[in-house]
Amino acid sequence: MSIETSAHSPLVADLARRFQEPPWLVQRRERAFVLYASMPSPKLEETDLRNRPWVVESIPSATTGGAGAAAQALLEGAKAAGGAYVYVRDGVTIETSLPRTLAEQGVVLLDLHTAIDQHPERVRRYLYSVVPAEESKWAALNAALWHGGIFVHVPSGVRVNSPIHFIYEETMAGKGGLPRSLVVVEDRASLSFAEAYLCHGERQEGVVHSAVTELVVGADANVTAACLSRYGKGPTNFFTRRAKLADNASVDWVIGDVSDGFTVGLVESRLEGPGSKSTTRGFGLGYGRQRLDFTASMDHFGHHSASDITLLGVLRGRANSTYRSSTHIERGADEASSEQHDRMLMLGSRARADAIPMLLIDENDVQRCGHAASVGRIDENQVYYLMARGIPRAEAERMIIWGYLQPLVDVLPVEPWRNEVASWIDGELN
Amino acid sequence: MSSPVLTIEDLRVSVEDKEIVKGLSLQIKGGEIHAVMGPNGTGKSTLASALMGHPAYSVTSGRVTLDGEDVLTMSVDERARAGLFLAMQYPAEVSGVSNANFLRTALNARRGEGNELPVIKFHRLLQQKMKDLNIDPSFAERYLNEGFSGGEKKRNEILQMSLLEPKIAILDEIDSGLDIDALKLVADAVNQLRSPQTGFLIITHYQRLLQYIVPDYVHVMMQGRIVKSGDKTLAEYLEANGYDTLKRELGIVDETVGAEA
Ligand SMILES: Nc1ncnc2c1ncn2[C@@H]1O[C@H](COP(=O)(O)OP(=O)(O)O)[C@@H](O)[C@H]1O
Ligand SMILES: [Mg+2]
Repeated sequence: MSIETSAHSPLVADLARRFQEPPWLVQRRERAFVLYASMPSPKLEETDLRNRPWVVESIPSATTGGAGAAAQALLEGAKAAGGAYVYVRDGVTIETSLPRTLAEQGVVLLDLHTAIDQHPERVRRYLYSVVPAEESKWAALNAALWHGGIFVHVPSGVRVNSPIHFIYEETMAGKGGLPRSLVVVEDRASLSFAEAYLCHGERQEGVVHSAVTELVVGADANVTAACLSRYGKGPTNFFTRRAKLADNASVDWVIGDVSDGFTVGLVESRLEGPGSKSTTRGFGLGYGRQRLDFTASMDHFGHHSASDITLLGVLRGRANSTYRSSTHIERGADEASSEQHDRMLMLGSRARADAIPMLLIDENDVQRCGHAASVGRIDENQVYYLMARGIPRAEAERMIIWGYLQPLVDVLPVEPWRNEVASWIDGELN
Repeated sequence: MSSPVLTIEDLRVSVEDKEIVKGLSLQIKGGEIHAVMGPNGTGKSTLASALMGHPAYSVTSGRVTLDGEDVLTMSVDERARAGLFLAMQYPAEVSGVSNANFLRTALNARRGEGNELPVIKFHRLLQQKMKDLNIDPSFAERYLNEGFSGGEKKRNEILQMSLLEPKIAILDEIDSGLDIDALKLVADAVNQLRSPQTGFLIITHYQRLLQYIVPDYVHVMMQGRIVKSGDKTLAEYLEANGYDTLKRELGIVDETVGAEA
């Protein structure tokens, strides 16, 4: 097999050798690499990627140092919240922990490389099934070269009471993070999954991070998926997260980003099953010269499927964010319903925000599709009111901003993670 | 603690380049209750907002001091911490900020750094004050003024006043939208705070409230000025005769600001 692999990509060959990967996987990686190499860096509707460099060189096989402060806090949070987690730094798996009670229920929690070893058929069946390499240059890059990842499998009927965590940290030693999460929740099972992508330090342009999360959710199963990110200046960051929902399944996304990086992100639910439901609660705080192009998407196929998107962007400094909420009611998704609420709050005169609601309806029989969007600044009457009670301006503004953010931060399923995100936000608001 | 003094000298206030308050002087001392009465549109709220420092109201001339300190150079929050309080005619709503959190932050800001009230003590104090004002306990966890009825907002203003114990309290139309029971509670709260440590400026256009809060001085405002001052009998006179008699007596045809031009 090593014959063609090296022809296309020594990087794929390197991973194949390092993890003793089966031929099917090497072939998938190879095909994806060809796609990646052949796809242009595109001009998106709101974001021009044509001049962004793609420097994909070596893949580190080791990492040094200990967990950074944020990773440490999230790790401790994961330990406090039941102790089920995988921790990866610079693509290298550092720690995997699965409490015995979960293992006894048949729950599988492994780093993705080990999962391919131990559960090859299961992984093969689902890997790339929700986020295929074909959909974008960055999805192809991840499909070709992912390393460091998590595999979660929850058997039918098993309700996992404490959350499962994935912490990915990219330090200055990293060459671009390409983590992949594959989460399979069988019929009538339930799971709370929380993942964080932490990137520290300022890096040269050209480095590319591309994270992919695939969520397969069976009939009558419920999943809460919380995804946090901190991206730094320099690289181009991508994340692609998608869930596929069977009959009456539900997925609640909580997306939180506190960054000054250049990021293009997608979170999507494919509501395939009748009666399936999904919500996305997204909040972002952009600062510095942050550029974020974020899409929360709901794709309705199932009869009577329902979705709700709430996005809140807070922008300061020269941050510039586009929040797109996109709902597509496909033909056949009769009696589907959807709601979108977007709010952008700009602090200072140099921040920019756009809220773009998109609604595509190919079905005649739709229950309700509502959307509300607002882009604005802090209400000076509110600031005046708080100041008139002795509260200094800066604190008044912080209270008002937190008034918007708190309800979204509060839906994060892990309390120590809520506190950690709160400290990130406070740190950047001060 | 000495008794406070708020001194307003020849104050002129403009909104959007239009002069609304046109030379107003008034001195309020601790222990005194001054009522400012007048029909709608005569500049009463403009006076109150300018004293508090609302950015839309610009003071074009005159002086305001609190215990000798220049109020006009202070920011809004500094004025509040110096002891000025304004119960607003139209309080803002702030979603996501609980009433209790807001009140605690405000109280601690007023008390100053290092002198914050411990959380438990604060909640005990809050509960007592809410009980005094017949406010439902759920009020504390509701978002600040969000979805409050007109009467609830007014009671919330009074709750803030009794917590913050200001040196000078300005109440702007605190009686509007209140039924008679709520009016009595508000009056009780004011009377409870009545002491040499607090002076009041009570803005109203009805005499009703003044049956329960007996003022020491009554001033009538028209065309952005005080056109007549007296004691509580002036309020009774207005109640009996209406503003029109006074207008005829003073030769004013239209009492609203701008009408004289
Ligand atoms: N924020 C404002 N913007 C524009 N005009 C204002 C504002 N506040 C007051 N005014 C004007 O000032 C005049 C007096 O208003 P106000 O002070 O509210 O009177 P009162 O409280 O006695 O009813 C009115 O003509 C009103 O239109
Ligand atoms: Mg008024």
